[in-house]
Amino acid sequence: MSNEHAHAPAHDDDEHNPHLAHHFDTMGQQTAAAKLGMWLFLATEILMFSGLFLAYFILRMFYPEMVLEAHEYLSKWAGGINTVVLLTSSYTMALGVRSIQLGDVKKLRLMLVLTILCGCIFMVVKYFEYSAKFEHGMLPGKFYSAHLHGYEIDGLPHIFFGVYFMMTGLHGIHVAIGLAIMLWMFVRAGRGEFNAKNYVAIENTGLYWHLVDLIWIFLFPLLYLVK
Amino acid sequence: MAKVFLNGQPVEHAHEVHEHISPMSTYNAVIGALFVLTGLTFAVSFADLGPASLTVAMVVAFIKASLVVAYFMHLKYDDKYHLFVFLGTIIFVGIFFGFTMFDLKSRDALNDEQETFVRWKEMENAGKGLAVGVDNVPERRAKVLAEIEAHGGGHGGGHGEAGHGGGEHKTDAKAEHKAAAH
Amino acid sequence: MSTAVQSHDPHPATEPSYLVSKRGLMSWLVTVDHKRLGLMYLASVMFFFLIAGILAIALRTELFTPDQDFMSAQTYNQVFTLHGAIMVFLFIIPSVPAALGNFLLPLMLGAKDVAFPRLNLLSFYVYSVAAVFLIVAILTSGLDTGWTFYTPYSTSTGTAVITATTGVFIAGFSSILTGLNFVVTVHKMRAPGMNWNRMPLFVWAIYSTAVIQVLATPVLAITLLLLIIERSLGIGIFDPAMGGDPVLFQHFFWFYSHPAVYIMILPGFGIISEIITVHSRKHIFGYKAIALSSVAIAVISFVVWGHHLFVSGQSELAGVLFSFLTFAVGVPTAIKVFSWVATLYKGSIQYNTACWYGMAFLWTFTVGGLTGLPLSTLAIDVHLHDTYFVVAHFHYVMVGGTVVAFIGGLHHWWPKMTGKMFNETAGKIGCLLVFIGFNVTFMTQFFLGHQGMPRRYYAYLPEYQTMHQVSTIGSWILAAGLLWTLIYLVHSLFKGEKAPSNPWGGVSLEWETQSPPIEHNFHDTPHVHGSPYDFPEIDKSGGSAHH
Ligand code: HEM
Ligand SMILES: [Cu+2]
Repeated sequence: MSNEHAHAPAHDDDEHNPHLAHHFDTMGQQTAAAKLGMWLFLATEILMFSGLFLAYFILRMFYPEMVLEAHEYLSKWAGGINTVVLLTSSYTMALGVRSIQLGDVKKLRLMLVLTILCGCIFMVVKYFEYSAKFEHGMLPGKFYSAHLHGYEIDGLPHIFFGVYFMMTGLHGIHVAIGLAIMLWMFVRAGRGEFNAKNYVAIENTGLYWHLVDLIWIFLFPLLYLVK
Repeated sequence: MAKVFLNGQPVEHAHEVHEHISPMSTYNAVIGALFVLTGLTFAVSFADLGPASLTVAMVVAFIKASLVVAYFMHLKYDDKYHLFVFLGTIIFVGIFFGFTMFDLKSRDALNDEQETFVRWKEMENAGKGLAVGVDNVPERRAKVLAEIEAHGGGHGGGHGEAGHGGGEHKTDAKAEHKAAAH
Repeated sequence: MSTAVQSHDPHPATEPSYLVSKRGLMSWLVTVDHKRLGLMYLASVMFFFLIAGILAIALRTELFTPDQDFMSAQTYNQVFTLHGAIMVFLFIIPSVPAALGNFLLPLMLGAKDVAFPRLNLLSFYVYSVAAVFLIVAILTSGLDTGWTFYTPYSTSTGTAVITATTGVFIAGFSSILTGLNFVVTVHKMRAPGMNWNRMPLFVWAIYSTAVIQVLATPVLAITLLLLIIERSLGIGIFDPAMGGDPVLFQHFFWFYSHPAVYIMILPGFGIISEIITVHSRKHIFGYKAIALSSVAIAVISFVVWGHHLFVSGQSELAGVLFSFLTFAVGVPTAIKVFSWVATLYKGSIQYNTACWYGMAFLWTFTVGGLTGLPLSTLAIDVHLHDTYFVVAHFHYVMVGGTVVAFIGGLHHWWPKMTGKMFNETAGKIGCLLVFIGFNVTFMTQFFLGHQGMPRRYYAYLPEYQTMHQVSTIGSWILAAGLLWTLIYLVHSLFKGEKAPSNPWGGVSLEWETQSPPIEHNFHDTPHVHGSPYDFPEIDKSGGSAHH
């Protein structure tokens, strides 16, 4: 959505601005529409994730001891490092938006690279976490087999790991999509498509990325920390 | 074009883009606060707060989230309608959570009272570590159990990938594994 | 006309209509024109209406005798499931918003297009992919869970649950994208002078619908995703055999699906508001009340979903709460019905086809809405739940409400969309057949249900036979009426008279442009100066001016 209306590079903001799609009257209208669209999209994302959070809370309510025991098997450190990484990436993304607000395309591209880098680190850490879980048979639902690997978790830990994989998996998919979008923004910035007066695509990318961060801010304590 | 309209109203300075640009110091302060708060939850998680730990963690998470939303996502300076959309969404999430939890909570109380509890109880199967379901459907439980046994240690992809092969099984020392997990 | 200054086409013949401005199949397949997309949706939803309608006739015919005739129990289960799922997800939900809404929203707002035209095209294709999934599900092993996909049956049955739910999941995204697009369009694309109090009520209705689509559909998405995962990996959230809670699934599902019934009916309300006021040539009674009651319904619809769980094992406490809240929906709904009736009062009513459908709606929807009240009464629902009473209730609101409004709207805007007039006499005959057929079919089902006939059975006790036969005959009349309607509408495309730009004397902006409209809707951006319901003639003669 963030890229709905960007076409060719341009420099000036008169009515024939090539960034302006035919059905809008002004750039202001176009930008406002794109941003409102993005916020509504974020609303749908929040509601979608809310279903998983609810599943988590209900699981806690049904089987409190099991959740507490099972969550001990998640690595606090891996989660913690990823939190710091993701927060940092949000910071660099915000700075990227700031750079283009000031018209600094070079710095924008730098910030995008840094953000992408953080995103990649996040994914790598996730990869190691996931492989450890796979190895120990801590898998969702009927694939759960940790007891065959010598881990005795009382109760129904297969549900916990089901929810764990659903939440972090869906979040991970969002991270991956975010990385792809940022890469694309990086390319477009290189083509000179953005300037201090036309950067709503960057802004929307940022909003999306911050949302991914927001969700992690809740995932992290709930899955890894809370007793 | 003489006049420009937005939302059905004339716009005075249509071509001006007035976006709020926060100073670097704001961003630095926010990220600093986020790190501190992360450290805080992390540290607190080692202390034994009991049931309060959920509340503490959630309060901290909400503060962190508000910082991100207000400053990184510029909601503080943005169109108020975006704030409305965002808060509205949170309210609907609240409705969703509130009613559902309310039902499940009050249902459990009732079930316990009338001893019509059908959900799997932790204590009854304690120690067996089996992924089994409610007590009043033994056949299905048997089926699930059989399925788990069938999948055994051999499936899941994790094995081959991590280089341990399929050889390691129940015989491995539990303690060693528990330690390795962390 | 007080609405617009540019009301007379200054250069009528110079610009071709949107139908012919570009030619060739490709120009349709990749179009971003909201009007063409509206027509494409119209064709698609009609196609699925036909398919699911044929399934319905098959069901009713099977029920002509108490015993099995030509369907086994298993086939019957599959047929009613597909009938419900296709009707709900591929027909009713996209029908009014995506077909008529797409066509009319920018026109009514005086805009050149919706806010995100390419997203609009995307959501059409997303819808098409969803349809493919559902068709694949039908062609492979079918689906026998009912349109509600309740666990644990849906996690254990051998039919194509994953394919079908994936289809519905995807259809949900199409719905979200359309809703998002419309909310932004209403906020950002209004013509000069078009403030919130000057928006046609159809726009208000589509706006409220869009808000629900944006807020509720994501929960459907995650519900179905969890169901798919439950079925494939057995994570144990919903399946009691794995330690889950099946009633939790029902909470998830109805958190979406009750608001979704308002996704279905609110646009219908919008159509009726337009039809009633234009064809009685009188300013709408209670403009603000109707507009805001749409918003109120949208909000309240999110807190009543538990009325579907009264006998599912929901706690009594929650049941009482949901029962009480459900009654609250009746208030804004009644406000609308009273306002429409008051609008008709002392109007100079033109009894043409669209208006006939409007009147039919007033009866059928009201019956449907009123029978919702006994169902929301906790104690009575224990008796009525899962009987034909519920079937009759929701067909009265969904068919008698939404479908009747949709067909009425189709007649109302047909000249605008196609540039052709249909035959009024044929239209009235069709309306009569639909109205009679519908009531004969479903009125009997209230009695059947009240006498204890459960829903979703392919065979029944002989005591019920007479009423089942009446109902089946009604369904044939209804089908005949719909087919008749299809025939004369298609006929009008080829043989119909050329439509004037404003055949009914409407005052909202879509009537200002030519029929069919040009590609960019208006030659010049219209400026709005007044209400969309100031009908000048009646103000002078009838003296019942409202402002
Ligand atoms: C006036 C407001 C309404 C009230 C108070 C109401 C109430 C109810 C209640 C209590 C039920 C549950 C019955 C049961 O399963 O035992 C129900 C079912 C249903 N209602 Fe309504 N309703 C209203 C309007 C509508 C509208 C406008 C629609 C759709 C356009 C609708 C569609 C449905 C459907 C589809 C079902 C059955 C779902 C199923 O089990 O398959 N209702 N209604
Ligand atoms: Cu309902």
